[in-house]
Amino acid sequence: MTLSLRTVSKTFAGQMALREVEFGLAYGEVRALVGQNGSGKSTLIKLLAGYHQPDPGCVAEIEGRPFDLGNAAAARAAGLRFVHQDLALILPLSVLDNMMLGREYPRTRTGRIAWRVARDEVRRQLDALRIDVDPRLPVGALSMAERTLVAIGRALADASGHERRLVVLDEPTAALPKDEVGRLLEAIDDLRRQGHGVLLVSHHLDEVLDVADTITVLRDGRIVASVPRGEVDHDRLTELIVGRPVVQPSLAERAAAVARHLGEPALRVQGLRGGRVADLDLEVHPGEIVGVAGITGSGRESLAPLVTGGLDRGGQVVVEGRTVPAGRPKAAMAAGIAAIPGERARFGVFPNLDVRRNLTISRLGRHRKWSRIQVRRERAEVLDWIQRLGIVTPHGDTPITSLSGGNQQKVLVGRALRMEPRVLVLDDPTQGIDVGARAQIHDVIEACAADGMAVLLVSTDSSELARLADRVVILAGGRRATTLLRGPELTDTSIDAAQLQSAAPAFAS
Amino acid sequence: MASNRLRNLRLPGLRNFSAIYLWVLFMVLFGYLQGHLFLTVSTTQLVFSQGAVTAVLALAFLAPLTTDTFDLSIGEIMSLTIVLLNYLPQKLDLPFGVIVVGVVLFSGAIGAVSGFIVVKLRVNSLIATLGISEVLSALQLYLSQNHQVSYSFSSTFVKVGNGDLFGVPYLDIYLLVIGVALWFVLEQTPVGRRMFAVGGNPDAAKLAGISTDRVVWGSLIASGVIASLAGVMYTAQVGAYTSDIGQGYLFPALAAVFFGASQLSQRPNVWGTLIAFFALAFGIQGLTLQFGAGTFWVSPLFQGSALIVAVAVASTRGAVGRGGDGRAVRRMMRRRRTTPPGGGASGGDAPPTAESDADRAKVAARAT
Repeated sequence: MTLSLRTVSKTFAGQMALREVEFGLAYGEVRALVGQNGSGKSTLIKLLAGYHQPDPGCVAEIEGRPFDLGNAAAARAAGLRFVHQDLALILPLSVLDNMMLGREYPRTRTGRIAWRVARDEVRRQLDALRIDVDPRLPVGALSMAERTLVAIGRALADASGHERRLVVLDEPTAALPKDEVGRLLEAIDDLRRQGHGVLLVSHHLDEVLDVADTITVLRDGRIVASVPRGEVDHDRLTELIVGRPVVQPSLAERAAAVARHLGEPALRVQGLRGGRVADLDLEVHPGEIVGVAGITGSGRESLAPLVTGGLDRGGQVVVEGRTVPAGRPKAAMAAGIAAIPGERARFGVFPNLDVRRNLTISRLGRHRKWSRIQVRRERAEVLDWIQRLGIVTPHGDTPITSLSGGNQQKVLVGRALRMEPRVLVLDDPTQGIDVGARAQIHDVIEACAADGMAVLLVSTDSSELARLADRVVILAGGRRATTLLRGPELTDTSIDAAQLQSAAPAFAS
Repeated sequence: MASNRLRNLRLPGLRNFSAIYLWVLFMVLFGYLQGHLFLTVSTTQLVFSQGAVTAVLALAFLAPLTTDTFDLSIGEIMSLTIVLLNYLPQKLDLPFGVIVVGVVLFSGAIGAVSGFIVVKLRVNSLIATLGISEVLSALQLYLSQNHQVSYSFSSTFVKVGNGDLFGVPYLDIYLLVIGVALWFVLEQTPVGRRMFAVGGNPDAAKLAGISTDRVVWGSLIASGVIASLAGVMYTAQVGAYTSDIGQGYLFPALAAVFFGASQLSQRPNVWGTLIAFFALAFGIQGLTLQFGAGTFWVSPLFQGSALIVAVAVASTRGAVGRGGDGRAVRRMMRRRRTTPPGGGASGGDAPPTAESDADRAKVAARAT
């Protein structure tokens, strides 16, 4: 074993993210690392990259020599290379410039860049991976697969001749269109043939089963299996990942749940297209909480913005019989849709305003008199929301940036709820916030549904969906793959399993 | 509510009130050095009446800056207004009041064009308004043939620009009126809220149901109108058009807004801007008195260094940089070179500030 790790543990603030992990990677091998979100995959990768440091007591060796795990320089010196999901390419720069990032350009005697030498060198590196692109093209002009290949090429660029590397590919196919995945898997094959070791982190079990020599499964911070390809199939692998046999919710339960929601839907989505969503129909009835799940790339991440106007779309969104214009949050709001956007800092919070101004921004007319906002009445209303939502803040005129993430999120919840919407659309509402705030927000969502609001809850947090949703729509490849209904079998495990099982096969061809 | 207000009361800290401390420092320093000249009614009147036009221009810059949009064309809009007010009465047989209103509305239309370029053509506001500036400067050169343009205004109009009420120059009353109006819009109305929201996070603003394009567009129209009012005030005060007016007024206005953004509410604001502006103006006046007549170089040197020091202090203390204003300030500070006073597109034979400095020197001479 080229890289071998033993008894590797990692604790974050008392929480064990990795427990006594034993792991290895050899030259000429493709090893897949699979597991749910939070299983410890990314912690392990970050340890390897030297971003985190392991707890004391671990043993790490590379080719028999001790290896300083958790040290970025040592990782680099030992030949570990990382290609992260975002690829870290600079799109306006040429392939050549991207390949030379972080390295010295060859120079002529006068100090000028020797472009011809550089181009030849890059050409050679690209050829090694059979990447057929013009090095002068800007990376932004390449397909997603080609970009990924360029990123891989760059990771290997300093390996001269027969030097071998250990390449970690973190979710390389998540952002790839289906028909480009094959090209990437071929490249992984090439890497193996050239003697490099590849660690492939992926949610797509089909491609893992196709390309990996060995599959390592992480669950709750432990390695639960390390199996050669051929000894597991898709179903068995899913079981290993989620930790128990997967059963389908029973039909009787379905019928009961459906019966609860007869009548006109408050939100009807028909033939929705846009972003990663290809074609989706969806209905949410008043008082119903419909969850949406799916792995990255399934369309889950585009759904909420499409419905609420953050992204332009095709297809119809109808609220209580009225068609909502596309791509205009203001119009969606007027139609009765309120949104709590994902990525709070980017799409939700106004960092230059205080809690009060953040909360009331969407509906300023309420306290207006003679075109002036009556601050006294506004303050009273905000105080009411602060109490109702349990926002922890000294008072309403505190800068929002001084609040914790969870409390900022509650402010956004308040902003949406004071619109008195018919339909509430939430995009990963409890991502990255503390347990207490999460529970409070869950209570609020339930209370909204009990009041007759139609709730569409898009989430990456399966236990959240299991706790709240009446139905969970599983997306794959931009379409509805399956629907799980409330019942004893609607658990985080079954939601995770359904996502993995329905992830579209990588090889469409 | 009363308790809220009480908690909001803070002792004037160096951070939020540095301009006031600076002002006091100047008064004490130059009062000590040049007491018989500096601490006089006439000097105070002079600074306030000389400064009113530039201060209004600063308010013009302030309006779009709240939405994180730069309007660098305000200087040229102001000087275009001046040339038109001198030129049109000679060509058109219309009441002067109609011409004034027409010119101000026309300036609003120029703002609307800038808005179109920024909002619809997606051109960065710095570039859009810089380009508009050049076009406007061409228009002035065409009308003036690069000569002084002057018109004999009625005595009423001259009085409007030079009179005073119990010692307070009329111009400062106009400044105060415009300031209060802008303050009201920015701080008291939904429109102002939306402007700051767009400035702080345009993506979030759009998702919160704000028509961000309309807000940016409107703010540029507002800046055109306010800059034009500064031009009307200048014409009333001074009269004739010379080709070097516009750009020289831009920098002091910018400096006051950026310095002012580090004051009081820690984002671009009306009173911070005005306090910062006059603090700097008194500093310049003191320096001019100290070093005597002919020290034209004092003003740009002082404006430039004061701006850098003020913004640097605010940035390192995290005062600016939380919101849109902060991003704007940093972008301005790090990436752009603003046109130095007098070095602008309008030919700039002599630094325009020289004129006012010369006036100050004259007063100084008179006082001795």
